[in-house]
Amino acid sequence: MALLEMENLTVEFGSEKNPFRAVDQVSLTIDKGEVVGIVGESGSGKSVSSLALMGLVSYPGRVNASRLNFDGNDLLAMPQSQRRKITGSDIAMIFQEPMTSLNPCFTVGYQISEALKVHVGGSRQERRDRAADLLQQVGIPDPLKRLSAFPHQLSGGMSQRVMIAMAIACNPKLLIADEPTTALDVTIQAQIMDVLLRLQQDRGMALILITHDLAVVSEAAHRVQVMYAGQVVETGKVPDIFTAPRHPYTQALLEALPERSRGKRRLTTIPGVVPGVYDRPKGCLLAPRCRYADATCRTVRPQVSDLAGAKIRCFHPLDDAGRPTP
Amino acid sequence: MTTQTPQPLMEARSLTKTYEVSKGLFQGKGHVQALRDVSFSLFSGQTLAVVGESGCGKSTLARQVTMIENPTSGSLILDGKDVAGADEDTLKIARRRVQIVFQNPYGSLNPRKRVLDILAEPLVINTDLSKTDRTDKVREMMAKVGLRPEFAERYPHMFSGGQRQRIAIARALMLEPTVIVADEPVSALDVSVQAQVLNLMMDLQEETGVAFLFISHDLSVVEHISNDVMVMYLGRVVEQGPKDKIFASPRHPYTRALLSATPRLSEAERKTKVVLQGELPSPLNPPSGCSFHTRCPFATAACKSEVPALRDFDGRKAACVRLEEISD
Repeated sequence: MALLEMENLTVEFGSEKNPFRAVDQVSLTIDKGEVVGIVGESGSGKSVSSLALMGLVSYPGRVNASRLNFDGNDLLAMPQSQRRKITGSDIAMIFQEPMTSLNPCFTVGYQISEALKVHVGGSRQERRDRAADLLQQVGIPDPLKRLSAFPHQLSGGMSQRVMIAMAIACNPKLLIADEPTTALDVTIQAQIMDVLLRLQQDRGMALILITHDLAVVSEAAHRVQVMYAGQVVETGKVPDIFTAPRHPYTQALLEALPERSRGKRRLTTIPGVVPGVYDRPKGCLLAPRCRYADATCRTVRPQVSDLAGAKIRCFHPLDDAGRPTP
Repeated sequence: MTTQTPQPLMEARSLTKTYEVSKGLFQGKGHVQALRDVSFSLFSGQTLAVVGESGCGKSTLARQVTMIENPTSGSLILDGKDVAGADEDTLKIARRRVQIVFQNPYGSLNPRKRVLDILAEPLVINTDLSKTDRTDKVREMMAKVGLRPEFAERYPHMFSGGQRQRIAIARALMLEPTVIVADEPVSALDVSVQAQVLNLMMDLQEETGVAFLFISHDLSVVEHISNDVMVMYLGRVVEQGPKDKIFASPRHPYTRALLSATPRLSEAERKTKVVLQGELPSPLNPPSGCSFHTRCPFATAACKSEVPALRDFDGRKAACVRLEEISD
């Protein structure tokens, strides 16, 4: 049985009459021990959908889903207090900016123990030992000494390790990492990805990796979901999605990478920008920027359809050679 | 056509910058050697990329090159004249030749000024053009960087990140500089927009012959845009040379580690990851000898005592005592 089953998750902001859909009917299924990457440009709804899953979208945001099951429990039917017990222990999250996610007023040890106190319990000394043990696991040298360090005494990479230690403190079954390495240097990025994937494998934890870096996802994930303007446009397996993308947006994103334009002088670009609140097109959201768009694309919203093991939201999914099908 | 060697637009010789920092009350002063012995030449229409982790001295270099600060020692030759340590009047003229584009387009544009005013400001300060001439120039420049000239009356918050970076590039170009220092110009942008801005920069370079000093930590971007690459570590250049040489066969262990740490899409290009242990040492208290020895997989006892000099090796320059042994 799948660990997480999420169907048609929708997050709306703004008035009831004229809502803005930040996340539009996103479905996601994750098995135990699976690594799923969610990629997309800024404003595509990657972060909001995971915040909604954590139950962290507050008023005036409205979250709806037709199904939200985690580990056999229906999160939608459950009272808020009980759901609160699951989030933070069974589902944990790491945020983008390690330097600002930690509370500057408390020591690292205190902040890790806090999570343990709420979800696990135990005596003060037990919690302290456990916190030191966690720091050890994420590769922080001299963990006992580091427990009494304040966040400003740590570098970006160290802070991110502390965030990971905090997230895995209660042995989560699902870890959501929201741009875990974006603010870090490449060498530190490699170290952090190493730690995350090692922990994921050791513990058989499922991992959702949210990032805009396609290369990171291609190296780490088993499956990838590509989001655009709040919708999932393509879901597929690695490496298929990178060798033969089915959705024109995925294709365009890959082509825009300098790595794919080697030898060419100019990079391939996607004209225009992601549509904002007021300029959502009537038809397919990508239509104004899509090189294959036709009259149907401009007037009718495409639905998600299955195609050879992948899920695509497009009227003209691409074939193996990267050409649109009629 | 004559075949004489082209004159560099800018030449840095042994640029060094030392900052004095307070170590704390009663502790006396400490010294941070943010930049040590950096030399390079920049030619018209060429791009020199500077690569390294945060804290390696990339931004200090940008501050010396744009003459915001005076280097502690060394010389910076611009149009045949040494401007390091020159008087204010000379600097004021020299600064027009070197402009900068910053990393974060959300922070580098004054939110209370219209685009027109932002772009006209360099002209107000440095030229005696009339207001109508300035406005014409601004509109012309906006069209050149792919912005609609009628947007000149708008404020920065009305533009997207990519458009703002175009405004920043337009501002840098207003005085027709010969060198533009681009400090991580695309790292705050999305992939699709990043490609647009990079294309724009290359088009402008082709058109105006401007040279870029391109500071970045994204090696795939560097590989695309640069002609030469300079890899820095703790204020020193560890490897420097033509892009093709450095990317095809990195020689310095640090360059190798950087390249192998860069995530790649295609499986064929993924190298066995050399995961560097630890982080950049504190520049206040740099390691003895080769500053990379604390993290280097090839370090020997000699590396701890001897500072390796930058020397010619296999078509580029590299600073490592074990180059011959470790390159295969």
